[in-house]
Amino acid sequence: MRADPDVTRITISEEEFRKFQEYFYRKTGIQFDASKRYFVDKRLSERIRDTGNESFRGYFTLLRFQASGEELQTLTNLMTVNETYFFREDYQFRCLVDSILPELTARRAPGRPIRIWSIPSSSGEEAYSIAIHLLEYWRGLADWDVEIISSDIDTGILARARRGLYSERSVQNVPAPLRRKYFTRTDGGYQIGEELRGAVAFTRVNLSEPADTRPYRDFDVVFCRNLLIYFDELSRKAAAETFFDALRPGGFVLLGHSESMSRISNIYRIRKFPEAIVYQKPQEGR
Amino acid sequence: MALIKAPQSQPVNEDERRHARTARDLMADLAAADAATRRWAARDLAAFPEAVAVLVARLKVEAEVSVREVILTTLTRLGDDLAIAGLVDCLRSEDAALRNEALEAMKQLPEEVAPIMRGLLRDGDPDVRIFAVNILESLRHPEVEAWLIDVIQHDPHVNVCATAVDLLGEVGSDRAREALLGLKARFAQEPYVQFAASLALRRIDEG
Repeated sequence: MRADPDVTRITISEEEFRKFQEYFYRKTGIQFDASKRYFVDKRLSERIRDTGNESFRGYFTLLRFQASGEELQTLTNLMTVNETYFFREDYQFRCLVDSILPELTARRAPGRPIRIWSIPSSSGEEAYSIAIHLLEYWRGLADWDVEIISSDIDTGILARARRGLYSERSVQNVPAPLRRKYFTRTDGGYQIGEELRGAVAFTRVNLSEPADTRPYRDFDVVFCRNLLIYFDELSRKAAAETFFDALRPGGFVLLGHSESMSRISNIYRIRKFPEAIVYQKPQEGR
Repeated sequence: MALIKAPQSQPVNEDERRHARTARDLMADLAAADAATRRWAARDLAAFPEAVAVLVARLKVEAEVSVREVILTTLTRLGDDLAIAGLVDCLRSEDAALRNEALEAMKQLPEEVAPIMRGLLRDGDPDVRIFAVNILESLRHPEVEAWLIDVIQHDPHVNVCATAVDLLGEVGSDRAREALLGLKARFAQEPYVQFAASLALRRIDEG
């Protein structure tokens, strides 16, 4: 039987919304409250239609019991917000090159690379912005290797990050000389240069899934900006604990400007650098 | 030196672990010398409800704050009757940090804490009753106002009533009016209760 192509005929009841909300939270840590109802219903209805189902009930069975988990991934890709741009909140990148990295390298013997984790990756703007700041403004790069790993739950957005194609709006904060140096013009936009695309590793990670995050260790810096605001209190706390184990002793976490670790967890030290407030795993933290 | 591409992080192979990840081994790891091992054990025990008693026992002796946090997160995730009982037990601890941590964890569990809230609010220890009112402060549950009204109508301890009346000033509705007037009469000699109850009544009047 062919599914009705008109999504407006598909309705999600209060009870169904609650069931979905609970399930999606359990799988991803992302909490949709009643204010997001329109957003959620619209995307759910589209997936119900596109998977050939006629109602929430059939679709929810597919979502829960599909062995490959493919539909859950597709829906997660649709439900996550991917709005960002280059050099967003760039005072934190200045903090990285002017304060954090000089401190980290001063107390460390050369040999192991500096490791930076950017999560959520979204379409790669943050990870590439970090790379540009290191290349342009951190003299230490002459003496140290740096690994940048950028992760996201959304596989579609990771593919976009690897392609590195951006709109005019996305790169508007990048100074023109840097734009010329690190991007090439394409039809209707810009593409980040091959050298940078080859320098950042993009990986799929569900931050709420310990099996996913367990291999992520020995980082010196974690950027996790404007993600935890979508999590409920318990998932935020669990994420802070995950970062703690992902960091080397003395490593740093940078959150978005409206987020505060003090309201999430008390296992980090607050560090006030001239450019930004950041959070540090204690040196003796194992 | 340069930007170098990291090798893709691979999931940890079960064979490479020092211990098989059974509940029993994870519970044993809770006593490991290394804090990171204890944290990972506490995190992975979220899959094993039978670990609640061991987690609570560890919580009471664990000195490392980062491990305590993970244990509390796991207990909150498990959130069953045993976990709640363990957290309630922590409310009676002499360790102020542990009491506060347990209190914060219980605030995250409205559905699970609700069935025992009436019992907590009638506990023999007035400190536990005050903690119970503190939990109500951010417990999103439709019965919060009714519970607070019950406290100010019946609790004999002035400090418990004073804590409850403060909160009623924020969440109270017309339903609380009579109980607030009754409280003022019951503690006529207590200036703070008079002040807080009048303030709550004024806030209710202002809507």
